[in-house]
Amino acid sequence: MERRELIRWLAATAGLPSLAFGREVHRRPLRPTLSAHVERTVTVAAERILPGATEANVGVFIDKMLTDWHTPEERARFLGGLPELDVRGRARAGRDFADCPEADQVAVLSTLDEEVSAAGTNDHWFARLKYLTVYGYCTSEVGMRALGLWPQAWRYDGCAPV
Amino acid sequence: MTPPDFDAIVVGSGMTGGWAAKELTELGLRTLVLEAGRPIVPEQDYVEHRPLWEMPFRGLGDRRAVAVRQPVQSHSASFDELSHVFWTDDADNPYSTPPDRPFFWFRARQVGGKSIIWGRQVYRWSDLDFEANLREGIAVDWPIRYADIAPWYDHVERFIGVSGQAEGLAHLPDGQFLPPMALNCVEQHVQQQIADRFGRARVLTIGRVANLTVQHHGRAPCHYCGPCQRGCITRSYFSSVNATLPAAQATGRLTLRPFSIVRSLVYDAANTRVTGVRVIDANTKTEREYSARVIFLCASALESARILLNSGVANSSGQVGRNIMDHIKWGGASGVFDGWTDRRTIGERPNGIYVPRFRNVTSRHPDFIRGYGFQGGAGRAGWQAALHAPGIGPALKARLTDLGPWSMSFGGFGEMLPREENRATLHPTLVDRWGIPSLHIECKWSENELAIHRDMNVTAAELLEAAGAKHIEPSTSGPSTPGGTNHEMGTARMGRDPKTSVLNGWNQSWDVPNLFVTDGAAMTSSGCQNPSLTYMALTARACHYAVEQLKRREL
Repeated sequence: MERRELIRWLAATAGLPSLAFGREVHRRPLRPTLSAHVERTVTVAAERILPGATEANVGVFIDKMLTDWHTPEERARFLGGLPELDVRGRARAGRDFADCPEADQVAVLSTLDEEVSAAGTNDHWFARLKYLTVYGYCTSEVGMRALGLWPQAWRYDGCAPV
Repeated sequence: MTPPDFDAIVVGSGMTGGWAAKELTELGLRTLVLEAGRPIVPEQDYVEHRPLWEMPFRGLGDRRAVAVRQPVQSHSASFDELSHVFWTDDADNPYSTPPDRPFFWFRARQVGGKSIIWGRQVYRWSDLDFEANLREGIAVDWPIRYADIAPWYDHVERFIGVSGQAEGLAHLPDGQFLPPMALNCVEQHVQQQIADRFGRARVLTIGRVANLTVQHHGRAPCHYCGPCQRGCITRSYFSSVNATLPAAQATGRLTLRPFSIVRSLVYDAANTRVTGVRVIDANTKTEREYSARVIFLCASALESARILLNSGVANSSGQVGRNIMDHIKWGGASGVFDGWTDRRTIGERPNGIYVPRFRNVTSRHPDFIRGYGFQGGAGRAGWQAALHAPGIGPALKARLTDLGPWSMSFGGFGEMLPREENRATLHPTLVDRWGIPSLHIECKWSENELAIHRDMNVTAAELLEAAGAKHIEPSTSGPSTPGGTNHEMGTARMGRDPKTSVLNGWNQSWDVPNLFVTDGAAMTSSGCQNPSLTYMALTARACHYAVEQLKRREL
C-alpha cells in the first residue's frame, strides 16, 4: 500500500468510531452529581483556570468523573470544599462566585492557587478541580486539536524542529 | 478403532498456539485450535485510533469496574481503558497466593491471547544463556544450545518481521532484521557518549521489535499511532491474529474453536499416550471431548501447567508447576539533558532503546550471577507536566505547550533463577467460573534477583553520567511483584533427564510421547531477554519434529 493511500485509509477507519461512539460519550451522566448552581460554579471556575475550558465542555467531564469515577470520599471532599468559592466571592464582591466580575473571580482563584500550591498537596479540593480542568481540556477534541495532538502525525521523527 | 477427530490439537491460540497452528497445518496436519476466549474480528475489536475524547473516562479507565473485575490484570503495563477487554476477568478466574507473597498472573482469553497485548520486544538468546545452568550448577542443564535453535530464530523472524540494528554481539546474536526504527536526537547523543566511555562493553541500540518498518508478507509498515495494545488495523505488529492464524487458515486444514476451555487431557494409560482433550464450552458449560494423534499445549506457562496438574499426567518428575520464573524490574535511573530545545519528537514510536546485558559477560560480578538488560528512551514532556503546575489562566495555558527539557530513563529487566519452591499447585477448593480447579501460586525473588535489582540503579546512573545528564535520579521503586513483567515461565521445564525435567529437548513430554508443551512452561532458565521469540522458535522446531515422528509412526 502506498503511504498516501494508507493514510487516507487510516483517516477513514479513524472516523468510524467517531460516528458510532461520539454522541454517547459527550452526553451527561444519567444521574449527574452537580446541581445547577454547582455546575455553573465549576464551569466558570474552570474557564478562569484554563481559558477554553467551557468550549471543551470540561464541566460535563468533571460531572462524569465525580459521578462514575471518584470514590464517595473523594466526591464528598470536592463538593464539601467547592462552596468556599462562594464564601470568598461574597467576602470580596458581595456575590456568589459565578456572579462576581471576572477580575474578582480571577483574584479568588489566584489566591486559592497560591495557598494550595504552597501547601504542596494534591488532595485538596481545589487541586482536584484544577487537575480535572487541565485533564479534561487536554483530552477533549477542542483541546487536542488546539494543542496539535490531533490529528495524529502517522509518522515518526525523532529530531523534528519545534 | 475409530480414527481421531483431528491429526493435531493445539490448546491456545496466542503467541505459541498460533505458531503451532501455522506449522502443523502447513506440514499437512488437520489441526484443531482450542481457544478458551472469544473470537476477535479486527475491524470491530481493534480500537487503536479511537481518540481520548471518545472514551468515557478519557483514558483513565473505568476505575470502579476495574477494582472489582480486574484488580490483578490492571497492573499489566499495557492495560488501559480500551485494551482492558483483552485481559481476563479476575472474578471469573480466581487463584490464590500466600497473603504476604503476591504474584501477578496476567491472563488473556481471546483468539490471539496475549500476542495482542504483548510488548513486542524480541531478542535472541545465546550460549551465555543456554550454558548458564550447567556452568553454574543451577537447576538442570538446557538440553539444547544456540546452534539447535538458531535456524528456528531465523525461521520465526523472517515470518513475523523484526525491525532492529545488527550489533555483532556474541551474547545477543543478530537476527533477520528489517530496517531499524530511529533513535531520537538525545538517544543518538547518549549512544555516542556511552560508546566513547565504555567501548563495546556497554552498548545502546534501538529496540528489536516485532513492528514492521517496511511492507512485509502483505502487512503494512507501522504508522506510529502508539497504542499497539488496542490492536492494529494495518497488521503492522506481529500477533497470531495478524499473521500466524491467517497463514494456518489459508491451508484449509485449520479448525479454530473459540469459547473452548480445556479442563484436562484424556490419557490412555495402557499406551502412555494422550488421546484427546476434555473441553468445556465457555458459554453453555457443556462438556465434550475431541481426539487427535498429537497434542500441543500452548496455553501459557501457568495455564498449561494447570491443565497437566488437572490431568494428572506427564509429571513423573514432580516438576510440573515448579520453577516459576519472571523477570525482575523497576530498577534503573532517569536524568535530564540540556540542549536540543529546538527539537522534539513527532509520532509515537512503539519501541525504545535497548542496552544488552553487560554484567557477567566477560567479567564476574561479586554480588550476583546472570544479569539484566535496560530498556528505556528519551523524550520531552507533554501537557501532563502541567497537571500539577502552579498558576492559572493564560499562564497555565501557555504551560500546556511548554515541552520542557529532554529527559531519559533506563529500566532494567533482570534474570530470575529457577527454584523448585517457586511453585504452582492445584488449589484444594478454589475453582473458576467453570468449576475447574484453580492454582495456588507461591513465588518470591531470591537474593540473586534482589542484588540484580540493586545493581540496576547503579549502572543506569553510570550510563546517564557518562552521557552528561543532570539531575540523575536512581529509581526509588522497590522490586516489581513476581509475575508483574508478564514473562512467567518454567513450569514444565525441558531437560536431559526424565527424573528432573518434564520435557525433552524437543518440548516433548518424557512420559507421554505424543504430548508437547511449547509455551513459556518449557523454559529451563529465564535469561534476561524478553522471552516470546524463544517460545515461538521452540514451538516451530517442536512442530517439525512432531510431524517427522508422526510420519515415522513413532508417536
